[in-house]
Amino acid sequence: MTTNKTGKQNWGMVVDVDKCTGCQACVLACQSENNVPINTQERFERGRAISWIRVERYWEGNYPDVKARFIPIMCQHCENAPCEPVCPVYATYHNSEGLNVQVYNRCVGTRYCANGCPFTVRFFNYWEPVWPESFRNHLNPDVTVRSRGIMEKCSFCVQRIRRGVRTAKKENRDLIDGEIQTACSQACPTSALVFGDLNDNNSAVSKMKHDERTYKLLPHLNLDQNVVYLAKVDPEKKIESHSVESGSHD
Amino acid sequence: MEYWSLNPTSLKVMQQKRNLSQIHTNKTLLNGQLNTPKWWAPTVLILGIAVVIGLSAIGVMVNKGLGVTGLSRPVYWGLFITTFVFWVGISHAGIMISAILRLTQAEWRRPVTRAAELLTVFSLLTALAFPLIHAGRPWRIIYYIIPYDFARGIYPNIRSPLIWDPVAIGTYLTGSTLFLYIALIPDLGNLRDRTTGWQNAFYTILALGWRGNPRQWKMQTVGGILLSALMLPIFVSVHSIVSWDFAIIPSVEGWHSTIFAPYFVIGAVHSGVSAVVTMMALMRWLWKWDDFIRPEHFDALARLLIVVATAWLGFTFLELLFAVYGLDAPELALREMQLFQWPWNFLFIIFMLTAYIIPVTMWLFKKVRTNIALMFWTSILVNIGMWLERFMIIVPGLARKQPFVFTWEAYRPSGLEWLILVWSFAWVTFLMLLFSRFFPLVPLFEQKESQVFTDDVKIGRASVPAIIREID
Amino acid sequence: MIKNPTVEMTDEKHLPQANVPFDQIAKDLVRTTTHGGKTIRRVSIILGVLSIVGIVALIVKLITQRDDSTQWGYVAALVSFLLTVGGGAPMVAIAPVLAKANWVRPITRISAIFSLTGIATLIMTIPLLVVLPPLVVDGTRRRSIWFEGPNFSPHVWDYIGILGLIITGLALFYTAAIPDFAVMRDHTTGWRKRVGRILSRGWIGSNSQWRTLRMRIGMFGTFYFLILIFVHFLFSSDFAMGIVPGWRDAIFPMYHSITSLQGGLAAVIASLWFIRRYFKLEKYIHIDQFWSLSRLLFATTLLWIYFFYSAFIVFWYGRGGADKAWIDLLVRGSKEGIGPMGWVFIFAGIFIFIAPWWWLIWNSVRRSINGPIIAASLILIGIMLDRVRIFVTAWSVPTEHIHDKYLMIIPQTSLPSGLDIMIIIGGICIGLLPILVISRVIPVVSIWEMQQFNLLSKPVKYMKTHGVLVAKPD
Repeated sequence: MTTNKTGKQNWGMVVDVDKCTGCQACVLACQSENNVPINTQERFERGRAISWIRVERYWEGNYPDVKARFIPIMCQHCENAPCEPVCPVYATYHNSEGLNVQVYNRCVGTRYCANGCPFTVRFFNYWEPVWPESFRNHLNPDVTVRSRGIMEKCSFCVQRIRRGVRTAKKENRDLIDGEIQTACSQACPTSALVFGDLNDNNSAVSKMKHDERTYKLLPHLNLDQNVVYLAKVDPEKKIESHSVESGSHD
Repeated sequence: MEYWSLNPTSLKVMQQKRNLSQIHTNKTLLNGQLNTPKWWAPTVLILGIAVVIGLSAIGVMVNKGLGVTGLSRPVYWGLFITTFVFWVGISHAGIMISAILRLTQAEWRRPVTRAAELLTVFSLLTALAFPLIHAGRPWRIIYYIIPYDFARGIYPNIRSPLIWDPVAIGTYLTGSTLFLYIALIPDLGNLRDRTTGWQNAFYTILALGWRGNPRQWKMQTVGGILLSALMLPIFVSVHSIVSWDFAIIPSVEGWHSTIFAPYFVIGAVHSGVSAVVTMMALMRWLWKWDDFIRPEHFDALARLLIVVATAWLGFTFLELLFAVYGLDAPELALREMQLFQWPWNFLFIIFMLTAYIIPVTMWLFKKVRTNIALMFWTSILVNIGMWLERFMIIVPGLARKQPFVFTWEAYRPSGLEWLILVWSFAWVTFLMLLFSRFFPLVPLFEQKESQVFTDDVKIGRASVPAIIREID
Repeated sequence: MIKNPTVEMTDEKHLPQANVPFDQIAKDLVRTTTHGGKTIRRVSIILGVLSIVGIVALIVKLITQRDDSTQWGYVAALVSFLLTVGGGAPMVAIAPVLAKANWVRPITRISAIFSLTGIATLIMTIPLLVVLPPLVVDGTRRRSIWFEGPNFSPHVWDYIGILGLIITGLALFYTAAIPDFAVMRDHTTGWRKRVGRILSRGWIGSNSQWRTLRMRIGMFGTFYFLILIFVHFLFSSDFAMGIVPGWRDAIFPMYHSITSLQGGLAAVIASLWFIRRYFKLEKYIHIDQFWSLSRLLFATTLLWIYFFYSAFIVFWYGRGGADKAWIDLLVRGSKEGIGPMGWVFIFAGIFIFIAPWWWLIWNSVRRSINGPIIAASLILIGIMLDRVRIFVTAWSVPTEHIHDKYLMIIPQTSLPSGLDIMIIIGGICIGLLPILVISRVIPVVSIWEMQQFNLLSKPVKYMKTHGVLVAKPD
């Protein structure tokens, strides 16, 4: 199936863990694109920092033979999302484009969805967001500023998707692969994050999806995510595909 | 056919049965209403101040936002939900005592039924407050309880256990209130006849024209039995549904367990019946109802509690065993923290000691079971333990969520949360005392009925306590 | 409302018997041991033949299919059924006795006799122990409740558990039977008198003897209850859950136990109905017993659905891999649509829950002689079906998948072979035979309990109503 003019996309992302250097550019880009409040040290210490995408760092091996491993984690946009059925007010639901959508207006802040999310990528606004006066004009006008008491999470930069689709429709043409970029994938210097339409067989994500390094996080939960990971290539080891699970306990 | 005769005069010489005249019963049990004790007003005042302080704390929290709590990511639920589950658990006392024991015709239930039902109603009211105030935007929470906005097609999501909760608790609250009221009517008639002025008017309206004729008694009894039977499934469903708030979530280790529903229900009965024991001791001391709330009632409740507590322990064991049974790394990490890491290991020991080991070992002795002071303290221990149990289920699971160790987080409740927890206790006690000013806490008619329904019979040389069962 | 023609509501029928002299009770009940000898002999011979056929079939199966554990599901289901019904029946009397209920007195003996079915359980478990996959499969430990326990753990401990249950059950039966053996010694002649003399062990009914008796009944009763729960826990985890990868179901042992209570109640109701009818014990077994028992049966029926649903909703809502595998294997019976075991599940649900629920919900049915027996028979069939659903599917999982995180492929379930059917029928006959035999040795309704029943309850009149005054000695 190819993308058509009316738009029947299934948005997805491929994260090549092998390319990730842990530079945090994606985190910063997301922060400024999506009007995420500034995370102070105090918020990090209390576990209340909001970052829609985060780069988790794990150490592998023992000193002196230590390797840092990075894995960027954002909302996985599960087709079978545990966060969706538990919301009492339908503030989160799955739309027809494969996005797991958060409706800020409806959210009453039970935080049940966040408990359901195995990736802990849903964030609660414990305080009213505040920006220094000088930052006020930097806010992205396309993105709602979330008030306190509601949940928020990665939206796959839905404002960019909407604008891209609108432009394509106006110009009466198909979407071009790579035309719509999320803030993180745009900012990634090594192109570790690739965003695109999984319904389009010719898109970069669709091609990468069939790589032998492909795996999904927490496969035993049967979540059917739209974010796919490509395993780290270790020159010393053979590729262990399909069964790689993120996170270790050391 | 030979009948044993019930001779009222023969009752006097018997030892085991306590004969209390109706006048004495009326006078003593109505002293809360007719001559309010001196301690009542100051106590209510102090509790009232505590309640106001607590309400102000809630006000501050709603005004400033949930940042004032100790919650974080991923420990999104903490003290409030624990306390919610705790109070829903306490509410199981009422139906356990008055409905189940009524259906099984346990005579010793009689003096405690009212207090237990009252505890149900007030603890449910308190429990309901917690999910409300713990939401991010409590003022919009009406969305999810009442589907008010049909025009925009905004419905609550009935797939969510958080919708099942208010439905179940609402039904339970309605049923319990009705149950309480039906059992109150004969006593209201009694009060109406003994008061004057505005009190008389008040009781006249509430007594619904009760005159105590056979038809009214029949209706009252049938209503009570029907409600008992109808309340039983609700009784079971309420805490099951509360447990499913946790159990259906596949991604939190320690929550996704099939045993949660009966485990929570039996735990609720354990803590609820213990709370009734606490209350009975207080009632006996405060109103000096030594004639009505007797050591044998504590004895019977403690025996029941031994069985309930042991069943609960069995469920706890199964829960723990089948948690580690799968040998999944994340689950083991969680259990390792829950059982062996400071401060959880300390809490776990306290929990085990207070919820089972200390009280049940003590209850094995009849001397303890009939000692009111000891029963009072052991029953308080049980509830400390049962609160900790809920805390240890809810928080560690969230703090050690899934294999992403990067996001593991600790939780320390803030002072404000503790204040609101204390408020909930002050609030329930306040409501109870307020109620006791206007309505009798021990049902008079049940007390009088038990005089008729119990007897002593002579078999050989022994005098044996006996009960009468009706045959219709 | 259902109008039940069998409801006998006359006061005379319903009121407990007063005024039956002690000697009369003894005479009436002792007569049951000699009553209907010819029929019983005939039935015993049939049962004996079927039992032997069953044992032969079991041996043949053990020789031919020893290496293929997937073929043993039906035998496991049979053992579970026997353990459930036969093990649960003595429990029926224990709980009310400990709660000092008076109505339970006529049924204490018959329910305790059911511990004799343990003989069948013991025989049928042996081949299962041989076939059960060891704790270490292909050099790796499989998931089990024994974790790091010794390698012989499931087999040895489980058998000791079942043995302990049966010994306690027999001890309970025998202890409570001692005064009646004394009655047999005093009221009969011939071999019955001799047996009575040996087994009554010098019972003269002194105060201290009665005290000891009561204490022992309380003790064995409590023990029996604890061991029963424990054995169900062992059996359900080792013989069902442990051999299915990814099946982690904390409530399953309790589910297994609750069906045991339900099956026990059904068996007691059924046997009570039979002895009332064929031993002509209308005077001693009343509607009151059926009424109370069927109320309990109704309660356990509701508990069945509660325990099942508690597990079901967690798996169904959870939707994880292991969760879905559980539903596919044990409820649906296949990956898509409804498999053969799915149908078994549906019928089990109808027989255990839906039909008895709608039948027993009516008080006029519960308060009748012939009403409860229908529900009881349905439930017994239903429990057998439910056991087939659980154990046949569990055993059909090939051993090579035992280390998987969860079950990826739902195995095909097998239909019972001729041998299986012979074993099932034989096993049930082995269970029934000793009950029939023992009814020749000792009355199936306890004489001393009936005497106490009359002593402790008398009808009373209060104002215009009738009541019963029940004395509750400590």
